[in-house]
Amino acid sequence: MRPVVALLFVFGVFLAVMLMGDLNTQLDPFLYTYMVENFRTDTGAHNAIAAILLNYRMYDTMFEALILLTAIIGMRQFLPSPDELADSSEQKSHGIKPQ
Amino acid sequence: MIRATEPSPLSEQSVILEVVIGYLYPFMLLLGFHVILNGHYTPGGGFQGGGVLATLFIARYIIFPVPDTDSDQLHMHQRIFLALILLAPTGLLFTGYINRNPQFHSLYLTLMDILIGLQVGFGLGVAVIRFAFFQGVGKVWKL
Repeated sequence: MRPVVALLFVFGVFLAVMLMGDLNTQLDPFLYTYMVENFRTDTGAHNAIAAILLNYRMYDTMFEALILLTAIIGMRQFLPSPDELADSSEQKSHGIKPQ
Repeated sequence: MIRATEPSPLSEQSVILEVVIGYLYPFMLLLGFHVILNGHYTPGGGFQGGGVLATLFIARYIIFPVPDTDSDQLHMHQRIFLALILLAPTGLLFTGYINRNPQFHSLYLTLMDILIGLQVGFGLGVAVIRFAFFQGVGKVWKL
């Protein structure tokens, strides 16, 4: 039952996105042209990607860095710490079952 | 301190691997800092350079698989650099200081690239070390 519901949900979201979004929309190129023409004088970078990541879209970079921290916190939460690993291997070598 | 796990079969069988990685090690460090420091001139930048720096941990694990690296320490460094990443733009960019002083543009970009690179390097290093040493002995461990 759950796989079917999940499949229907994913397919429904896909359909909704396809129906809501108009693929033929022409976006206003104002920001694109502004950034490409002015990134040297605005930010001093010689590389438009660095200019966008470190100046125009700084919040994006900050939260990307936070995503890495979140991933590591989750990993530390669910993987055993080195001390616990050492304890479990010692108990294993002494023939004692861990709790 | 944790005892050494069993050495990986790779290092047991291959002296070539040890020697080659030993020679490559400084060049990997150099490439990482090259990618980071030239981030605003060439393709590359903090995240990419940090990924290259994290390969140092993988290389060390391949030739010397002893869990003597303190991952808590690495995580603390990562958090310090993350705090600096959040503080530096808040103080320099969002206040408009950098935009009023165009001579500091390159300095600011380099500083941010270095901070991001070290943060990503330490972060990926923690992940690699944790997963690498969890694989071998973790079978007894229960949640």
